[in-house]
Amino acid sequence: MNTPLSTDIALEAKQLMVVRSGQVVLQQLSFVVEKGQIFALLGGNGAGKSTTLLTFLGFLPPTAGAAYVQGLNVEQHTREVRQAIAYLPEATTLYTHLSAQENLSYLLTLAGRQIDRAAIDKALDTVGLPTRAHAQRLDAYSKGMRQKVAIALALLRETPILLLDEPTSGLDPVAIDELNTLVQNLAAEGRTVLMVTHDVYGACQVADRIALLHNGSLVGTFSASKGAPIDTNTVHTAFKEQTVR
Amino acid sequence: MRSIYRELRFLSRDRAAILWLGLAFVITLLAVTAGLYEVQSQRSRLMQLLQADRSDRRIVTEKHNDWGSIAYHSFHLTFDAPSPLAFAALGQRELLPWKHRIRMLALEGQIYEADATNPAFTSIGRFDFAFVASNLLPLFVIFLLYGLRSDERAAGRFELLVATAGNGGHLWMTRATVRLGLLALCILSPLVGAAVGEGSPPHLVIFAGSAVLLHLVFWWIVSNEVSRLTQWSSPVLLTALIGLWLWFAVLSPSAIHTVIERLIPLPNGSEILLTQREAVNDAWDLPKKTTMTAFTERHPQWRGQADINQPFEWKWYYAFQQVGDQVTEPLSQQYDSGRLARNHLTTRLSFLAPPMWLEQTLQSLASTDVGAALSYEKSIRNFHAQLRAFYYQKLFEDQPFTAQALEQRPEYSKAHLH
Repeated sequence: MNTPLSTDIALEAKQLMVVRSGQVVLQQLSFVVEKGQIFALLGGNGAGKSTTLLTFLGFLPPTAGAAYVQGLNVEQHTREVRQAIAYLPEATTLYTHLSAQENLSYLLTLAGRQIDRAAIDKALDTVGLPTRAHAQRLDAYSKGMRQKVAIALALLRETPILLLDEPTSGLDPVAIDELNTLVQNLAAEGRTVLMVTHDVYGACQVADRIALLHNGSLVGTFSASKGAPIDTNTVHTAFKEQTVR
Repeated sequence: MRSIYRELRFLSRDRAAILWLGLAFVITLLAVTAGLYEVQSQRSRLMQLLQADRSDRRIVTEKHNDWGSIAYHSFHLTFDAPSPLAFAALGQRELLPWKHRIRMLALEGQIYEADATNPAFTSIGRFDFAFVASNLLPLFVIFLLYGLRSDERAAGRFELLVATAGNGGHLWMTRATVRLGLLALCILSPLVGAAVGEGSPPHLVIFAGSAVLLHLVFWWIVSNEVSRLTQWSSPVLLTALIGLWLWFAVLSPSAIHTVIERLIPLPNGSEILLTQREAVNDAWDLPKKTTMTAFTERHPQWRGQADINQPFEWKWYYAFQQVGDQVTEPLSQQYDSGRLARNHLTTRLSFLAPPMWLEQTLQSLASTDVGAALSYEKSIRNFHAQLRAFYYQKLFEDQPFTAQALEQRPEYSKAHLH
């Protein structure tokens, strides 16, 4: 049975508990991400951030509670849920023996989408990948360039929800700024973004809401007020308190 | 179809997979070519032997003009010509003789004196299509499939791919189908091409192809289940799958053969040969009556003409040759029934070792299995019995030699095999 949810809710974790290899990774985790919102899950190593994303993607079945995507129970509607989500894993490794164009063409066909070469090039331009690199094999790319290709994939899939796992990891400051702008533009178009990160500053710059995760539990939430980003110092202090404790 | 096309394009950029597929094609092509070369060479040897055989007998006829001498000096070529599918599975044709030159003398020794011409092949097997399909095909399946999931996991793409595809099962299934479809093409196209050239009966080629596909599916299931049920890394998976290949392709068949050899002991061909030679040699020193009594027990119709009055008479000479066969008969029967029993048991137990099952199936379809070898030996005995019947009449009835009567002498032909 699906839980009837407000049409404004894109993602919901409800009393989520996940146990992996006998260890509780998430416990009593509840939060809601509204449509068009940029929601950042912040936490140290092992806090359960990536596990949360994998649970929303249906890779990890909850031991208790449930995850919902657009009102659909993830466990019961895994395929539909995945069709609604573009996922950007941490340290994305696309096929290095293929070019950016070929990678995107293959992965988009995999997602059931037929996109022409011009649209692919446009998306690659949008994420800031130099035009001369579009047809080059990925083994000649820097980590940041590869990440841009993966982001272009997320753009081209035109899904209503994006799950980003440490999207700025390994990117240079310029690329981080470009990515943040891109994410904000996507949210402005009505897409929902759930990103996990341990970059307090980056999260505060881009997110509408931040949830602080520690040992699989939610220990604090912060929201941006009208027009102003979330205060980095407040979040940083809370983050340090949790991780030191 | 779109997903098949997508994976085909993807595969066309995968150098390792292309390498394995190319290697599979080249090795199969070599194996089929080697098989074709071997059967062609057997056929051309047969053609030469058939000509020489007729010519030899004509010379004997020109030199001699009595039935006993002609029977003694005339050799007759018996043969089991390779079937149109023999190129694919040379089987027992490598181990047991498929041609003999026999005379009116004691037969069993003549059949077995050429046994085990290639004893080395009993252990390693011939490099033919059956060898490739039974023993190498599983390795190609393993190399093409083992890293399907684990390589993606190691590269950090697994979740991205499954999340993008929506359904991982369909993705892995399509990838495996494309790879194995191409592998089947690489393995079966040389077989089909050669079979068409050889004029093999289509139903046999279809059966052979189906057996190969069944074998391929078995290894697909093994590779898929091992990688699906575990989260092992590619090297560990490869090691495990190679271990399974070793078990099914090498250890199990060896164990099955060892068990069968223990369960069904066999005399060997040389024992039969030796027993018969001793019996025939001893016959020179035995009272002629003893020999003729033993002979007429089997041929009562010649009892009235079985008296031997001269120191040497051809009918006595051929009678003790036949008695030599009678002495070795229990051993020969034990040898044949034992080989047949071993073959039946091997066929049954081969389900425990699919590569062995495929090899047996292909040999059976190509008429190169133990059953075919035994049929051929039976055809020699039938032909030899006809020869004996022909000459015994001439010798025991003391008929004068005429070239016209000689024309009635039986000739070995394919018909003796059926």
